[in-house]
Amino acid sequence: MSDGPAEPETRQSPPDTSAHQPPPYAPPYEGAVPYGAPPGMPYPWPAPPVGGDGEPRQRLHPLSPLLHGAKSLVVVIAGLSWSTLSRVGFGWFAAMVAVLALGATVLSVISWYNTGYHVVGRELRVHEGLLWRRTRAIPLERLQAVEVVRPLLAQLTGLAELRLEVVGGGKTEAPLAYLGVADAARLRERLLALAGRTPQQPTPDPTTAAPGTTPPTAAVGRPLHAVRNKSLLISQLLTPQAFLLPFGLAFVVVQFLTAGSWSFVAVASTLTAMAGVLLQPVRRVLDDWNFRLARDSGTLRVHNGLLETRAQTVPLDRVQTVRATWPLLWRVNGWLRLRLEVAGYSAAEADDRNRPDRLLPVGDLPTATMIVAEVLPGVRLDALALSAPPPRTRWLHPLGRRALGAGLHERVFATRSGLLTRQVAIVPYARIQSVRVVQGPAQRRLRLATVHADTAGGSGAAAQDRDVAEAWALAAELTARAHAARQNT
Amino acid sequence: MSDPGPNSPSWPPTAAAPPTPPPAVQPVGRGPLEPWPDTVHWQPISHDLIWVELIRLAVVLAIGLAGTAIGWALSGHWLFGLALAVVLVLGGWRATAIVRAVQAWGYAERQDDLLVRHGLLVRRLSIVPYSRMQFVDVSAGPLERAFDLATVQLHTAAAASDARVPGLRPAEASRLRDRLTALGEDRAEGL
Repeated sequence: MSDGPAEPETRQSPPDTSAHQPPPYAPPYEGAVPYGAPPGMPYPWPAPPVGGDGEPRQRLHPLSPLLHGAKSLVVVIAGLSWSTLSRVGFGWFAAMVAVLALGATVLSVISWYNTGYHVVGRELRVHEGLLWRRTRAIPLERLQAVEVVRPLLAQLTGLAELRLEVVGGGKTEAPLAYLGVADAARLRERLLALAGRTPQQPTPDPTTAAPGTTPPTAAVGRPLHAVRNKSLLISQLLTPQAFLLPFGLAFVVVQFLTAGSWSFVAVASTLTAMAGVLLQPVRRVLDDWNFRLARDSGTLRVHNGLLETRAQTVPLDRVQTVRATWPLLWRVNGWLRLRLEVAGYSAAEADDRNRPDRLLPVGDLPTATMIVAEVLPGVRLDALALSAPPPRTRWLHPLGRRALGAGLHERVFATRSGLLTRQVAIVPYARIQSVRVVQGPAQRRLRLATVHADTAGGSGAAAQDRDVAEAWALAAELTARAHAARQNT
Repeated sequence: MSDPGPNSPSWPPTAAAPPTPPPAVQPVGRGPLEPWPDTVHWQPISHDLIWVELIRLAVVLAIGLAGTAIGWALSGHWLFGLALAVVLVLGGWRATAIVRAVQAWGYAERQDDLLVRHGLLVRRLSIVPYSRMQFVDVSAGPLERAFDLATVQLHTAAAASDARVPGLRPAEASRLRDRLTALGEDRAEGL
């Protein structure tokens, strides 16, 4: 890292360096000369930030340590807590905060200085750490989705965080925090181009060779749909939490009035509990505010967020499952929600909020139909032919028998379930990983069975309680169609 | 959808996908776990697995019985005697279930996929295409090793895929593993 001072210039000029290199890099996975280091260089560690003939290693944006420092400020204040403030007085408190935040900033400067990334062949390599060094090589064939996230502070400073979703990654891999917005957009385009399903030659294609020539901000794609914020608000008011809140409040008030005691603890704990209940709808509103959906050749772009904006890019051939949900309270308006399952979002992020899987936070059936037709060509959500299970299923589902259904379509397998919250799951045959037939004891008595179509990174689709003979036929047909679909792609 | 044909808009596979006609769909009355009898040759697993499972059960039973017996001896309350009887009955029932469950467990290698069936109370059949294979696990615990057995498990990208074959002889296990990896490499699809 001796040539650190030269780094800012090289950081600014990656497009030019990669543009005028005659053969930018050797075919990938040769691995003979890692990082383009001179042959005498010991492998892998003292790799210089700027390689000889490989692509230069790039730094994150110089402002990112400041942002990390500002983030740590909040943590520091929370950690010191009110009791410390009251004990040491404001002046000392401010000094302590300043010292700790400064320390955190210095640490982030060091980590920034030692962090670098570059694209080698079809891999993104991220180098980190001063004492414990770490290099992650992320094969781009495995890239499932790319997200550009801009927290509030990053929006003020014109920075963005790039997150990659990779199959098999326990959590979001390689969050590059932070990059300039234009840099992030350019890198995203480049990674997606490299991740394209068509095997690309190691010799650069136009988009990768000269990323600077493509306007980074123009590639917004064809807008598909924008959710009106009013609908979003109403839809979240129609969730059970928000809907039942007035009743809860009334109950509490009545209880207090009759009991006549207004102890502070009781009031505070009640309010805290209510805030906790309300947190989810509020977060949904904040997250899905200004939700826009666009389509750009083979990818889907999702923009959303009020305080923290996210721009998510999902290649369409990575879509594993599309799920439509009709919550009970939304049926008044005929609204539904669409979700998208991508393999990268693993069980580690089972938290509903952290899974950026929304395809449509709220919308009516025609809109949802249009979006589904874009994501899965040839699928009509409003005219899915689904057949109900045999009448004897009523012994298992006395009320919900009519809600169950399953159907084979030209390219997808669709199932429906749920009496109160109706759900339709649509799985393309090409994405089916395995097929399972499960028969419980009650089902065996009634000669019924459930057929599951499993997909990566989700629960897939389940055709519940089909006739046994039909279940075998369905399983055989699903297997055959999945096989045929794989051959064709 | 008891007769799936006419209901779905594209039941006869379209001309774009002719290479694999659906296998002969002839559900027969021989039992729900025997679909497609003409295309599938089910292989049983070793019956030594019964002993492995019985020993495991015996250990659990011994602990339960010892606990209740001590309780009975110390307190003399009749409820402990009842519990003892319940534990014994459950153990006996489980022992017969183990015998039948091991006999019901089977796997079959078809041209493009591996079939695994198991379960008595809840019966399960998994169909896992070789091409979706991510990796194969071969494992053998101390008890299994004592009986010269091993377990092969096929993993796909979907967490729900359930293709585990216990109770294989080591030679058969490594044959299966090699065959699965070879077939998986041939047809690798991943996602």
